Amino acid sequence: MTDELIRMEKLSKIYDTGEVQVEALKSIDLTIHKGEFIAVMGASGSGKSTLMNILGCLDRPTDGCYYLEGEDVMGKNDDELSAIRNKKIGFVFQSFNLISRTSALKNVELPMVYGKIGTEERKERALELLTNVGLEDRAHHLPNELSGGQKQRVAIARALANNPQIILADEPTGNLDSQSSVEIMDIFCRLNRQKGNTVVIVTHEQDIAEFTDRIITFKDGNIIKDEIKNEVGTC
Amino acid sequence: MLIIENIRLALTAVKSNKMRSFLTMLGIIIGISSVIAIASIGASAKGAVGKEFEAYGMNYMYIYPNWEMTQDSIEYPDLFMPEDIEALKYRFQEDILYAAPYITYNSDTRVGRNDGKLSLQGVNAGYNQFTNMILLHGRMINKSDVQGKKDRIVIEKEAALHFFNKENPVGEILSVVINGEMKDLTIIGVYEVPSSLFGGMSMSDSYSTYVPYSVLQTGDPATYYIEIYTDKKKNPDTMGTEFTNYLTRIKDKDPAFYIYDSAESQMTQINTVLGALSLAIGAIAAISLVVGGIGIMNIMLVSVTERTREIGIRKSLGARTKDILMQFLIEAMILSAIGGIIGTILGVGIAAAGMSFANIDVVIELSIILLAVGFSAIVGIFFGLYPARKAANLDPIEALRYE
Ligand SMILES: Nc1ncnc2c1ncn2[C@@H]1O[C@H](COP(=O)(O)OP(=O)(O)OP(=O)(O)O)[C@@H](O)[C@H]1O
Ligand SMILES: [Mg+2]
Repeated sequence: MTDELIRMEKLSKIYDTGEVQVEALKSIDLTIHKGEFIAVMGASGSGKSTLMNILGCLDRPTDGCYYLEGEDVMGKNDDELSAIRNKKIGFVFQSFNLISRTSALKNVELPMVYGKIGTEERKERALELLTNVGLEDRAHHLPNELSGGQKQRVAIARALANNPQIILADEPTGNLDSQSSVEIMDIFCRLNRQKGNTVVIVTHEQDIAEFTDRIITFKDGNIIKDEIKNEVGTC
Repeated sequence: MLIIENIRLALTAVKSNKMRSFLTMLGIIIGISSVIAIASIGASAKGAVGKEFEAYGMNYMYIYPNWEMTQDSIEYPDLFMPEDIEALKYRFQEDILYAAPYITYNSDTRVGRNDGKLSLQGVNAGYNQFTNMILLHGRMINKSDVQGKKDRIVIEKEAALHFFNKENPVGEILSVVINGEMKDLTIIGVYEVPSSLFGGMSMSDSYSTYVPYSVLQTGDPATYYIEIYTDKKKNPDTMGTEFTNYLTRIKDKDPAFYIYDSAESQMTQINTVLGALSLAIGAIAAISLVVGGIGIMNIMLVSVTERTREIGIRKSLGARTKDILMQFLIEAMILSAIGGIIGTILGVGIAAAGMSFANIDVVIELSIILLAVGFSAIVGIFFGLYPARKAANLDPIEALRYE
């Protein structure tokens, strides 16, 4: 587990709202290796989501360096960033972010559509992914016909569509009861332990963080604690 | 591959908002259907005019002095004399089948209690061979009628029925006033003209009749117009030019003093007017296409705003700017294309219904349909582009955060 996947150096993010400038990240240094299982914690407004968005190439830092698999992300244009998001990163959001007009299956197919994978292969793989999260019988349901836990499982299946190395989940259990939360965390554990995915999870809950191997704590845009556990997480 | 996906996506979007989609398309539907209906009605009318002239024969023409050159005061020597007509006939004996002064006269008449108006046309012998009239009873004006200035008349069937309550009043008398002089004309024939476009459209309330042209020439044989039927094998325009040139020469006038008006040039004129008319109305109808396009733009802007979050999600999953642009552009195009197709069907339907009502063969020009549908697609692209660009350029983070 020494394979370096992500390296951030003196990375900062300033939101310029015109009147006030919010320094959401203050010169962060962070390295993540392949196969790590990480929890990001910290008070509300401490910069966790900002970090995740930059990690996932959804947003650009104001300053600093960001290398993903040794590649400098800063110099990439929008379409190149889209391609990175499509191939290398799987997002899971607190509010699920499924497209409500289309079925679970179509939602899972979506990253493959943008990855230019053929119709047949797409459908087959989407079904397989849904089966893996135990939702094969819900494939043709619309998102609003699913429970919160089921929605989040569809979202995870979708995040895995193009077999990305990195899974970024911003409070994936934030809208779920404890039962569903455990189910979701079990899936992340499986992905990390069996498939070797690098998983980064933002959470407010200590018992969710217990699942992971490393806990990074934010405060006011700084990393105040970065703790790699001696014994592995409770996965 | 993504195109097909986008079309599917657009169709779902259109379907999931049926009422809104329909209202959006309405502008395009109205625009396209009126453009196509008007163009088709114009084309059908042209076709009908062509057929009408075919029926009458395309080989007639009128020769008359160019009013612009007579400078308001036409003088006696400018008019055609019988010897001019004879000379013309003699010079072009191969080409001219019929030539006579063209004189018409309107008169009231009364038979018992039935009164009505007559339109008298002076003709030479054999006139019926050149028009599409059908003699039902009796005979047509002949040479001796003309030479003897005999008070004879050939009337149309409707006149016979109106004045005499019978189809064959040959031998009866119609009293008319010609140049202040009372004349009793003996009916020698009854004819009928196959029903036609112009016949049906005729606004005149007078009955058509034929009399020897000499009967209408009281005293003076000079005439303004010569009516001529030419050999059908000859080009009417070359003939017309040769005739007028010849007449100018023998009457010692400036070039182009006499001009001709052939069936062909009349048809061209009518077609020009029809064409200009349908173009003008079509252009007005095309404006509604633009209005329809603005409707599409408006609804696409609403749609982009409504789906801001969806756009954010798509971008987070790897959609490029181009992909989002295409998605919304194709949606706008599908909206206007469906509108275009419905409008085309509606427009063709309106034209067909209208023309069958007027008893005219409907002419649908493929080029017009292609033009209209193509135009609606362009409207879709043009008015869809701005909303689509707006969608495509959304920042993924801001779009995802959108409530
Ligand atoms: N688009 C933005 N414009 C201006 N300020 C922003 C924007 N996004 C975030 N911020 C600010 O940046 C800081 C960090 O926000 P961030 O969303 O990263 O916090 P967080 O740790 O994810 O909080 P939470 O636990 O509540 O989700 C906050 O002060 C927030 O107000
Ligand atoms: Mg957050």
